[in-house]
This record gives sequence, structure tokens and C-alpha cells, in this order.
Amino acid sequence: MKSTQTDLNRSILHQLPLATALVDTSFSLIDASDTWHHIFEATVDTSNPNSIFTFFEDHEGCTSELLEQYLIGNDIRTIRHKKVGTENTIWLESTFAPWFDQNDKIQGTIIQTKDIAREIRKDIELEKIKELFEATSEVSRIGSWEYSLETEKLSWCPMTKQIHEVPENYEPTVAEAIEFYKQGYSRNKISMLFHKVLQEGSSFHERLQIITQKGEERWVAAGGKAIKKDGEIVKIFGTFQNINAQVVAEKRTKESERLLTTLIDNLPINVFIKDKDSRKILVNKAECDYLDTTPNTLIGKTDFELYDENVAQISREEDLEVMRSLKPMLGEETINVKKDGKITHFLTSKIPLLDMDGKAYGLIGMSMDISNLKQKEEQLRNLINVTAIQNKKLINFAHIVSHNLRSHSANFSMLLEFLIKEEDPNEKERILKMLSSASDNLLDTLENLNEVVDISTNVNLDKKSLNLNEAICRVAQNLSAFLEKNKVELVNSIAKDLKVMSVPAYLESILLNLMTNAVKYRHPLRDPKILLQATIEEEGIEFIIQDNGLGIDLERYGDKMFGMYKTFHNHKDARGLGLYIIKNQIEAMGGQITVASMVNKGSTFKVFFNGKNE
Amino acid sequence: MEKMNSIFIIDDDPITVFGIKKMLKATVECSEIKDFHNGKKAMEQLRYDIENGVPAPEVIFLDINMPIMDGWEFLEAFLKLRIEEKVIINVITSSIDPSDYQKWNDFRLNCLHYLNFKNKPIFKIEATDLKRINLAS
Repeated sequence: MKSTQTDLNRSILHQLPLATALVDTSFSLIDASDTWHHIFEATVDTSNPNSIFTFFEDHEGCTSELLEQYLIGNDIRTIRHKKVGTENTIWLESTFAPWFDQNDKIQGTIIQTKDIAREIRKDIELEKIKELFEATSEVSRIGSWEYSLETEKLSWCPMTKQIHEVPENYEPTVAEAIEFYKQGYSRNKISMLFHKVLQEGSSFHERLQIITQKGEERWVAAGGKAIKKDGEIVKIFGTFQNINAQVVAEKRTKESERLLTTLIDNLPINVFIKDKDSRKILVNKAECDYLDTTPNTLIGKTDFELYDENVAQISREEDLEVMRSLKPMLGEETINVKKDGKITHFLTSKIPLLDMDGKAYGLIGMSMDISNLKQKEEQLRNLINVTAIQNKKLINFAHIVSHNLRSHSANFSMLLEFLIKEEDPNEKERILKMLSSASDNLLDTLENLNEVVDISTNVNLDKKSLNLNEAICRVAQNLSAFLEKNKVELVNSIAKDLKVMSVPAYLESILLNLMTNAVKYRHPLRDPKILLQATIEEEGIEFIIQDNGLGIDLERYGDKMFGMYKTFHNHKDARGLGLYIIKNQIEAMGGQITVASMVNKGSTFKVFFNGKNE
Repeated sequence: MEKMNSIFIIDDDPITVFGIKKMLKATVECSEIKDFHNGKKAMEQLRYDIENGVPAPEVIFLDINMPIMDGWEFLEAFLKLRIEEKVIINVITSSIDPSDYQKWNDFRLNCLHYLNFKNKPIFKIEATDLKRINLAS
């Protein structure tokens, strides 16, 4: 009966689907299922063929010592081992459980073994993924964190810990993790975001500041995403990245950009950047102010849309040359004419902008308004001219004075010398007469010189608006006898109300001299005819007096026409002073006098009265 | 006393003309002393003389500042005339303008005639004003 029972048991054991073996306390195999034998092939050991150790001999992962320990233990233990074959390796897991009889006495050990190839493969894969993940995290410096809702446990990856500057064994709580964020915006924000992701499962990615364990402030990019299982949030997974260098660099770039913008905008120089087609792609405040508009309206515009066409064309040619030659144009004086005709003088520089290949893709332009300087320069040049002319006049005048006075004094000395030596009373009388005439001449000369000096030294000219016709009438009135005697025909076509700016006495002197000259140098074969005209010019009035007299050979005398003591006709009244004086008077009033003449035809004098009151 | 045939005085100042004539009388015996108020008048006379085979004057006293045709213009025209004889020309001026002296010097170097430069006042007619003294002989 007992034997039948044992047989039955054995039969069951043999057929068990799970590989099972029974081992007695002396470590001998009592029996095992077929499946077990299939896995464990006993090596031939003649001395003790049933020793359990022989079955494990060719297995790695379980030495005899380890096996013995498991076999005599009182609890259930599991061991992993593998059987390395020539073609493949079989991964196994054996569980050792003590075997008791009815009296709780240990009879031996039950060993159950299963093939765990799948689990192992999964483990290996997991390990690989983990390694890959860690490597990725390390290379990309992106850390990660995980929060389990079930355990309420937060875990940081090594990179995240590194970023926080905490030791590797540091385990944070959620509250502690939040504490790392900088007080204020960053901490409030992360609290809010974390709360939201927990509640609503919304993901986030934010740039925030933390203060590391070591007290360093740094920018991080923190992201979070809820992991759901069956519609329930079970985990929050997140990334954590140190972006401090990036943010700092960005900030620095922004700061230097702002610095540059501030600088460019506040430069008292027009700055602009143009593209290849000379379109403006950047303008500073000064340029906008100059063109009286906003940057937005200027950007994309070319010079042709802003300036006079000729000016724009010149500018475009400069642009092309700079971009072609790659040589900057520096400090060139340029003239800009806006659409409204306003002219500005600039000192302009254009510098080519090069791309990575060294080709120009545009240029930077800088223009300094030098209109004021230009104007001053112009004034200075005028002043120099005036001074040079004055100087020349002065030297000329000095020579005239010296010549005239010397010639008289020379006559005096000569005559006196004669007088002393002369004994003939008749001749003495004659010399005395000569002396007296020399003295008269000297007085005349002095008077003439005085007249000239008067004009030249009269700095405070009091110009008045005078009716030209009335002045002409007055002069004609004074000359009426003279004009009548010479049968002069006077044709006056000057408007009745025309006014000129002049010193009253000068106007009279000018008209008197020119009208007398026109008659004085009349042609012997015809009656004098004088035409009087006037035209209104931009800056004053031009008075024209035309006669039909002798005329002057201007090629011969042109440069001497208005000189002192120059006479060109054999006329007894020619003093050689009238034109010299009126020229001085006209020029003293900011005007000018010119002459056109043909011998035997007549002369035309043009007098310009400057309308400005200086 | 030196003997001469013809002397021209070209000056618009009657006092100077009077003075030169007076001084000439004391130094030279000249049958013909002519005076002109300006260069043009003198030039007309010279042209007339050449046409009629009258010899050119031996000495000319020439003022610079004159109306119509001044001394320089006269000199320029004179140099163009066909005159074989060498004429002594005394340029007389009261000018102390250095440019006048410079001009005289330019003329002197570029003409065949003898040119002297005399500043007013003149008290005496020098021998060299009338005759070229050949120092080499």
C-alpha cells in the first residue's frame, strides 16, 4: 500500500510540467520530473552518480558552496544560473524550498527550475536602454526627473543632481525640489506648473532660475509631462537642463545689442545699412530725423525714393564701387539734395559688409552733416577774397597816392631849384606862375584823394530805399542846361515806382557821373541819345544806361576802365576819376558795375544795386 | 655844347615838360625839341616822320602815366617801328612802384635801343641821358 502510494507519487513527479527535483538531506537526487532531467544532464560520476552537485557542475552562477548553502536553508531561495553550451546559453532560475514530513522534519529540498531566457533578454534590453539614456543625458546635459503619484517619491537622474550641485545619493522631496528655485517668479511659477500638471495633466516647459546647493544662481529649462495609465495620472516625467551659459550669452548679446543700438541711435551722425540693391535695412535716429520720418518708413527704401535723382544716382554708384572693390570709402565730401530741394553737405563714409565667403552683401554708411562747416568755410573764403581785394585796392591806392603826391612835390623841388638859380626876372615870373599852378594841382589831387578815402572808410553805410526815377529826374534837372546844349535825347523806360537800395548821395553821384560821361564822350557826328532801363533781379535791381557815343576799345582799356586817373579820350574835362569813384561807391554798397562797349557805336554801363541791407 | 637834331618829350604834365626843356637848353644845342601830351600823339608824329624819311629823334623823354596811350604802350608800339638808329629813351616817372622798375628792366633787356630809368624830381640832365658813352673805347 505504501509502495503503491509512492509509485503514484513518483509517476506524478515524473510528469510535472515544471522542472522539479527532490533532493535528500545528504544532497542526493531522489527523483526529478522528466522536464528537469531534460534541463539537467548528469555528468558521469561513477563515485556518486546521484549527487545533486554533479547536475550543476556545468552551470555558471551557482558554485557548490552556494548550492550547499541553499540546500540546507530553512526558507525559499531563488538563484539564477546559466548553462553555457556550445551553440547557445540557457538562462535558468532555480528555486530551493525545504521539504518537510508530517512532523515538520526536514526531508530534503524541492528544486524547481525554469527557463528565464525571455526575462533575461528583457533585462538586458532594459539595461541597454538605461545606459543609452544615461549616455544621452550626459552628452546632451539634459537631466530628467520622475515623480510617482503612488509612492509620492521624486527621483532625480545623476545629471539633474549635477545641475543642482547635490551629492549623488541625494534624494529630494517635492517641497525641497521646489525650494531650489529662486524665490519670487521662478519658485511661484514652478509651483503653479507642477500643481497644474498634477491636476490637469498638462505638460510644461519653462526657463527658470534655481539656486544650487552651492549657492550659485543658474538658468534651467524645466519640463514636465504627465504619464497616464488607464486614464489616470500615475507619474510625472520631466526633463531638466542647465541653460545658464546660453541665457547668459543671450542676455549678453541682448545687452551689447542694446548698447550698440543706443550708441548708434545717439550718435550725432547719420548711420544706415544698405543691402546689395542699396535698400536701407537699418537706419539710426539721426538719419530718421534728417529725413523727418520713422525707421519703418525708411527701411526697404532706396536713395531714389528719398533724394533728388542725380544725387541718388551718384550715391548708388558709390555703393556699387564700394561693394565691388571691397574698399571702404572714407570721409568723402558729398552733397545731398532731398526731394524738397534742401541741400545738405555731408562727410560720408561707406564700408562694405562681407559675408562668410568674403563677398559684399551690403554696406554700412555714416554721414556727418558738415553744412555749417561748409557755410563757415564759404564765409571764410569770401572774407579772404574780400580781404585780398581790399588789400590789392589799398596797395593800388597807396601807389596812386604816392605817385600823385610825388609828382607834385617833384615839380615843386624842380621849379624851386630853377627859381633859386634864375636871374632873369621875366623867367622868374614864369616859374612863379608855374609854382602856383603846381600848388593848385596838388590841392586838386588832395581833394580827389579825400573823396576816394571817404568812400573807402565809410563803413557805416546808411542805405535807403530810393525811387530810381525821382533820382534820375533830379539829376536831369541839375544837368538840364548841359543836356539841352548838347541836344541830348533821354529815353527813360524805368517803372515809376521802382526802388533801389542805395546811399542817397552815392545814387546821385553814380547817376550824375554816368549821364555826364554819356554826353561828354558823345560821337561828333550824331546827337547823343541815352537809354535808361532797369530790371528786377533776385537780389536787387540792375540799372542800365546805354549811349550812342564814342565807345571804348575794351580790349585795350578794359582792365583800366575803372582805374584812377585813367582817361581814354582826348577830352579836356577828362579827370580819370569819375568811374573810379562810382565803382568804389557801388562796391561799398555791395553792388557791381560792368561795361560793354564798341568803338564808334556807344557804351552800355550796367549797375547792380544790391537789395540787401548789410 | 652838345649838338643834336631832334628830341621828343612825351609827358602830359606841362610843368615837367617846361622843366626838361629848360634843363636841355642849358646842356644841349638842339634844333628841334618836340613835346606830346600822350604816347598816341608822339606815335602819330613818328609814323609820319618815317613815311617822309625824317630821321627818328636821338633822345626821347618818356613819362609813364598818361591818358590815352601811356608810356608802356608807347614803348611797345615804338619797338615795332622800323627804326635803324639806336634811340636813347629816358623813362621818367614819379612812381616808386617796384613793378614799374621791373617792367622797365624787361623792356631794356628786350630792345635794341638804350633805355634809362629816371625818377622825378629831375634837377639836371646827365650826359648819359643824351649820349651813349662807350666805356670800352
